[in-house]
Amino acid sequence: MGHGHGHHHHHDEVGIGGGSDLPAALDLSTPDDELRPEDRSRRAFLRRAGLLGAGVAAAGALGAGVGGGAEPASAHGKDDEHDHASFNGGGSFKWLAGDHHIHTHYSSDGMYRVIDQVQHGRAHGLDWMVITDHGSEAHAKIGVDKVNPEILAAREALKDTLVFQGLEWNIPAAEHGTVFVNPGKNELSVLKQFENNFDSSVKAAGDSTPANEALAISGLNFLADAVKRGKVEHALFLANHPARNGIDSPHEIRGWRDAAPGIAIGMEGAPGHQAGGLSKAKGGPGAARGAYGNSPSANSFPYPLESYRTWGGFDWFTATVGGLWDSLLAEGKPWWITANSDAHTIFLETAVRGNSDFNELGYYLDPVHGGTVNTTNVDFWPGYYSKTHVGATTDSYLAVMDGLRLGRIWVDHGGLLAGLDMRVRKAGDRSKDGGTPLGGTVSVKKGTALELVISIDLAVLPNWAEFVPKLARVDVIRGKVTGKPADKDAFTTPNTRVEKSFEVGTGQKKVSFTYALGRAEQSYYVRVRGTDGNRKGPGYLGVSVDAEGPAIDVVGDADPWADLWFYTNPIWVETH
Amino acid sequence: MTVHVGFDRADKDVRAAEHWFVELLGDQRDRVVACTHLLRVPSSHVAFSIALPSGVSVELPPVPDGLAAAAALAREEHLSGQGGRAFAYPGRDALVGTLSVADILSLSAIERVTVMGGAPATPDTLVETRDHVRPLWMAGHLTLVTLPHVDGRIAPFEMPEEIPCCSLH
Repeated sequence: MGHGHGHHHHHDEVGIGGGSDLPAALDLSTPDDELRPEDRSRRAFLRRAGLLGAGVAAAGALGAGVGGGAEPASAHGKDDEHDHASFNGGGSFKWLAGDHHIHTHYSSDGMYRVIDQVQHGRAHGLDWMVITDHGSEAHAKIGVDKVNPEILAAREALKDTLVFQGLEWNIPAAEHGTVFVNPGKNELSVLKQFENNFDSSVKAAGDSTPANEALAISGLNFLADAVKRGKVEHALFLANHPARNGIDSPHEIRGWRDAAPGIAIGMEGAPGHQAGGLSKAKGGPGAARGAYGNSPSANSFPYPLESYRTWGGFDWFTATVGGLWDSLLAEGKPWWITANSDAHTIFLETAVRGNSDFNELGYYLDPVHGGTVNTTNVDFWPGYYSKTHVGATTDSYLAVMDGLRLGRIWVDHGGLLAGLDMRVRKAGDRSKDGGTPLGGTVSVKKGTALELVISIDLAVLPNWAEFVPKLARVDVIRGKVTGKPADKDAFTTPNTRVEKSFEVGTGQKKVSFTYALGRAEQSYYVRVRGTDGNRKGPGYLGVSVDAEGPAIDVVGDADPWADLWFYTNPIWVETH
Repeated sequence: MTVHVGFDRADKDVRAAEHWFVELLGDQRDRVVACTHLLRVPSSHVAFSIALPSGVSVELPPVPDGLAAAAALAREEHLSGQGGRAFAYPGRDALVGTLSVADILSLSAIERVTVMGGAPATPDTLVETRDHVRPLWMAGHLTLVTLPHVDGRIAPFEMPEEIPCCSLH
């Protein structure tokens, strides 16, 4: 848990170089060593984020499929000081738990003050949170302004909690997404301009047309430009509940990632609304876990019907080994997963909205005590059930955003793990903090023997359902990097499968598995998932790919506490 | 002799399209097989198809310019049994409450029942219809796709109450 974050001052870093209207860090006619130190630092940051130089359009860690001899933009994993090292990014991280998808009374389907959400999230173990009210006409005119003072007040009241302002973007031609920026004097103006110009609800741009898809790309370009010009230090975009309505097509996801690498960094691997599946017989809402209960619409991409439901509480894009997520990773480019609450109204809540007509004010008045327990709400508080754990170098806003951008992320449900560290290292390397961590890329000569080491702190404290979760199994998933697919709407890849499973014994506090990856002959990635072992079934692509994967969730009878999983993001191996 | 017709109004919403057509069919809805089709030509929208047995006629609106190809595609999907979601079909009104798979196959035009993410159904498997049964044309058969449901039952994939696609949440 982070304490004493102290001050988070952020200076406007725009420096105007002589004769150029570009900020100095952007003006590549000025050599690195002639820049002021702060501009040099900013240029290095922009390079790492994939926002500067020839590599921008084709940013990717691995060369496969990337054309034109562009310098790889190191969109993930390569810490500045380790750019030239074969093994990068060692060292210890502070693992900060967070949630990038939280609603307040500035959403027409929300009800809480910012401080309500932040207090609860903090009490449930979160270090960072992003307030993401829905883009809408009311929000663009009223809410985006009014929520900012509440966020500033929450930062002041709870100094050891990082509270970002963001919004839930109605992506033109697609689903929702989180957009958020590093705090600073322009956070509000950048978000407001973004919402007014690029939100599909504000712009009536929801249909799956090429023009609307292009508007989404323009929105991401706007964010990239805001970062380049130093209006905000950083901006991130993540696709929310991506498979829920079938309207995030594979080529759109690829398009976002490729348009703004370093900003468009990933998707919710698991949606919020996890209480939805609790059965009516047990006093729950009796709905779909994750509120994934829809069917194809006119705007849907022709995904199979299986994609419209959660599997073990996770989105089908993530839960399917060899599915859409792996087809993105197999290109050799980053695309990370997160897990969030999407908290609007909480299961077993007794408070009610302060007024009934959102349209009168553009927000709901402060909640009031309603006197009855609501069993139809489908959400848990931030941090109560889903957590996104980010490896940060310090307790700061920028470090959390860096950790997210670099893919140092693992996610879990129900407090399944107390901690996780995972590295790929040269076989036999026993040095402390050796190896390449989550999200990183290890670059080795062909033939180098590598091993994966997974160290897990098992849960020893009860979770918020008052039991100590028991990890039963850990699966190692490996996929070949095969480059850009011939079909940009591909959502499977043939070379990824569960390669090894470890059973987890009982009565331990910590377990560590070392898995020999063999001699590296070509580029690949490795990722890990684990489960309490309560529910399992063959994966969508069959038992040869995933024999004991998550089972499809039963609508109306999916107890989220009785089906717990964790997922890590990948580590890449690049051969040369 | 059954006649297959495809037509199109450039509908955007599946449920609204279905509602309009069911009203138009009135008492004849149990004698035809009428489907919605999700098409991406010329752009994403909902088209219709209908199979009319001898002696049944329906007054259909003209297909607007530019949608003739889509209407033809809807007809082709239906005729070949490769696509379309049936919202009117013989026996639909009998599919209410809890029924066995055998009941569904004998009471209605549905020809097979599949289970997504679960063990195959047997004739005795109970189906919680939720009074909303919308089979799909798949591989030449009018197929009810189901999911595991409470108490070992199965239930149709499509739920009666959906969160509208473009709503919040």
